[in-house]
Amino acid sequence: MLEVKQDGPLDTQEGVPVRRHRGRIPAIYFAVTLLLVLVLLFTLGNRNFLSVYNLNTIASYSAILLVVGLGQMCTILIGGIDLSVGGLMSLVSVVFVVTFKATGAWAFPLCVVVGAIAGFINGNVLTRIKIPSFIATLGTGGILTSLALLVSPLPVDVPASSYGLLDIVNGTMFGIPNVLLLTLAVFLFFYAVLRFTTVGRNIYYTGSNIKMSWMSGINIVRTRNFAFMLSGLAAAIAAMMQSCTQFGGDPNLGKVYILQSIAAVVVGGTALTGGTGGAVNTVIGALTLGVMENGMNVVGVDAYFQQSILGIVIIVSVALTFDRSKVSMIK
Amino acid sequence: MGMTAKEPALELERITKSYPGVVALDEVNFTVHRNEIVGLIGENGAGKSTLMRILIGLIQPDAGLYRLRGERVTLRDPASAARHGVGMVFQEGSLVPNLSIMENLFLCHEIGFRKFGFLSQRAMRKTASAVLSLVKIASDLDTPISDTTPAVRQMVEIARLLWLSRLYHQENPVLVLDEPTTVLTENERITLFRILTDLKRQASIILISHRLQEIVENSDRIIILKDGKNVAELDARRANIADIENKMVGHSFATERYREDEQVEPGNDIVLNVRDLSKRGEFEPFNFSVRKGEIVSLVGLVGSGKEAVCRCITGLDKPDSGSVSLGGKKLAPGSPSETVRSGIGHIPIDRRSEGLALGMTVAENVNLLVLDRLKVAGLISPVREKKNADRLIQDCRIKTPSSSTMCANLSGGNQQKTVIAKWLSSKIRLLVLDHPTRGVDVGAKEEIYKLIRRLAGDGISMIIMCDTLEEDIGLCNRMLIMKDGRLTSEMTCARDKKPSPSNIIALIV
Repeated sequence: MLEVKQDGPLDTQEGVPVRRHRGRIPAIYFAVTLLLVLVLLFTLGNRNFLSVYNLNTIASYSAILLVVGLGQMCTILIGGIDLSVGGLMSLVSVVFVVTFKATGAWAFPLCVVVGAIAGFINGNVLTRIKIPSFIATLGTGGILTSLALLVSPLPVDVPASSYGLLDIVNGTMFGIPNVLLLTLAVFLFFYAVLRFTTVGRNIYYTGSNIKMSWMSGINIVRTRNFAFMLSGLAAAIAAMMQSCTQFGGDPNLGKVYILQSIAAVVVGGTALTGGTGGAVNTVIGALTLGVMENGMNVVGVDAYFQQSILGIVIIVSVALTFDRSKVSMIK
Repeated sequence: MGMTAKEPALELERITKSYPGVVALDEVNFTVHRNEIVGLIGENGAGKSTLMRILIGLIQPDAGLYRLRGERVTLRDPASAARHGVGMVFQEGSLVPNLSIMENLFLCHEIGFRKFGFLSQRAMRKTASAVLSLVKIASDLDTPISDTTPAVRQMVEIARLLWLSRLYHQENPVLVLDEPTTVLTENERITLFRILTDLKRQASIILISHRLQEIVENSDRIIILKDGKNVAELDARRANIADIENKMVGHSFATERYREDEQVEPGNDIVLNVRDLSKRGEFEPFNFSVRKGEIVSLVGLVGSGKEAVCRCITGLDKPDSGSVSLGGKKLAPGSPSETVRSGIGHIPIDRRSEGLALGMTVAENVNLLVLDRLKVAGLISPVREKKNADRLIQDCRIKTPSSSTMCANLSGGNQQKTVIAKWLSSKIRLLVLDHPTRGVDVGAKEEIYKLIRRLAGDGISMIIMCDTLEEDIGLCNRMLIMKDGRLTSEMTCARDKKPSPSNIIALIV
């Protein structure tokens, strides 16, 4: 290897070594600040906002959103988007309940496979047929929604006799709801994959500069397929969790999660342009949306106004977190 | 020429423009007289294109005066340049391919043809024919630009600039032509210069070309830039090419600059073997080999095919025939992942878009190829990652506050060192360096030369394409000269027997 030859101290050569176009504060600080400000405002509005009962409500709402959001984040990190999470969640929800009735606990692994396959197809439409993910997943999302309605046009219930098996999700362990423990496990999985594995790192490289990644020998096809499989996987898990908590499947369950999951990702500071952000960001993003959703009801914001306030919060948070200096034209 | 007193149409005085780490233009003076063709000459990186961009308002100078027809102006953008009768025909073309000749001609300035709120097709056609006759084009006005030859496109652009200057009542427009002949056939070239000479009666023209012969033959005055400074101004009638070449590359051919005393004799084993490699439309069947620790420089004009050869070697392009083998093992064509895995590295010309993940940290960039080596129990260890990055930062003397600084915040030279460090950390045997010192300041250049010498000393073979001929000669052991897609000659550049740049220019052109 090369021998280190040093003619002088590194930092004193050539005057100032680095140029800073502006002091960049990592997006996550803005996201955390926003979350704390919201919590403070809602607490001032209603003392009970911070009650254990209410925090639990926020947590379980945010948990499912976080799980979908973590998957969505992977596709956004590579510079894509997954609009099919809604359709997939709807499909998995009904498939889960139907197969649960027939096979019991086998429904869990089966649905995980369904999610991974859907993600794999999404990825391949993008990488092999070369359709931008926005369009590709818009299309597959439609197909998945239809499939959900074909499996069951109406909501289906889990028979009360087998509620016990749903305790995997609905029960508690050491006093902590299993939903939260499962979410924690999913979070740790995504965190570890993105931080400590090659394929996770390749997701960042690909999202940051796909041409460089290709030229450096990264398999950009496999990387992008993997990101979409992660999204499918996460959406499937989220759908099962939701179905368990409501003791039944619903072919329209996923709709709200399409935009909510994207919002959770960007509010957390993961840029839609790809390459920056991460699992912790998405936790903050999902919590922010959970706090908003719950807090506005707790302090009694007019239901007609809630959507617009949520919209404003999303725009403000992206304005704060997104580094526009890196992109010359915003589309 | 018969002109009376020379009247300046456009004057740039003491123009200075610097980018982080590089002074692109250093108090450059540039004057164009009325009814004159000025040839602007300089090597890549001499500052020609920066000067022209300032001239048409694409970028703003840091300091200096801009005068048009004797009056001080500030051109904020190319549109305001157009209003002042200044415009440029770009090398890569700036017309809209799916619009017709006529639509392109008047694009964005159709307002004058409005009649009762609609554009009058008749008036547009009449004007278009008149304008196009100035540049001797008889094509159908409705032909989409994508169906026309490069020569016609160029003429449409010139006609558009002439018409714009008339529209804004500017006498004697100033037109910039950047490498207008590279895309033309011999006949089209002759026609172009005939038209330009003709246009001289009503306009001033700035001509940029690598082909010195055509500059000398067709311009009135020649201005030479080198390293962002004026070096000479010549009367074209009295200029000779050898003299221009000397001024272009500079007399001071400093041997120690490229660390030639550190140049090593290559080993005997052949590392890279290229056999009958060809790509249609780019280069003819091509044979050469590179030995261990040898630096081979590929030299040739734009369009000589040298870039395409490198793209085929690095797997970015698929050749039509032939093979590339590394250490005796044939590589699958057109697969960057295979070439990288087998040990071929690539420093691309555009490091920002092809060499780095700018939004990621220095550590993440330099560790890209060696993540597997940094793992503990199957997972990337942050400790090892930082250690490896810190070692490379020291090794390649990357000046950065820390290994977790974003690459976008480094200067050009340090970004380039980051790219080199990335390849260095992996076990490469051959490195293709595409203009490794482009846009890098002098100090960082020195360090890059030093790195190249150390790599060669470690037995890594290299193929380089440099910004200047001087740099090619200084760095390489052997030089392959390409012209029109063929390998035309080969020249050894041993440590004490370096050929002179002017000898080689004769072989290139």
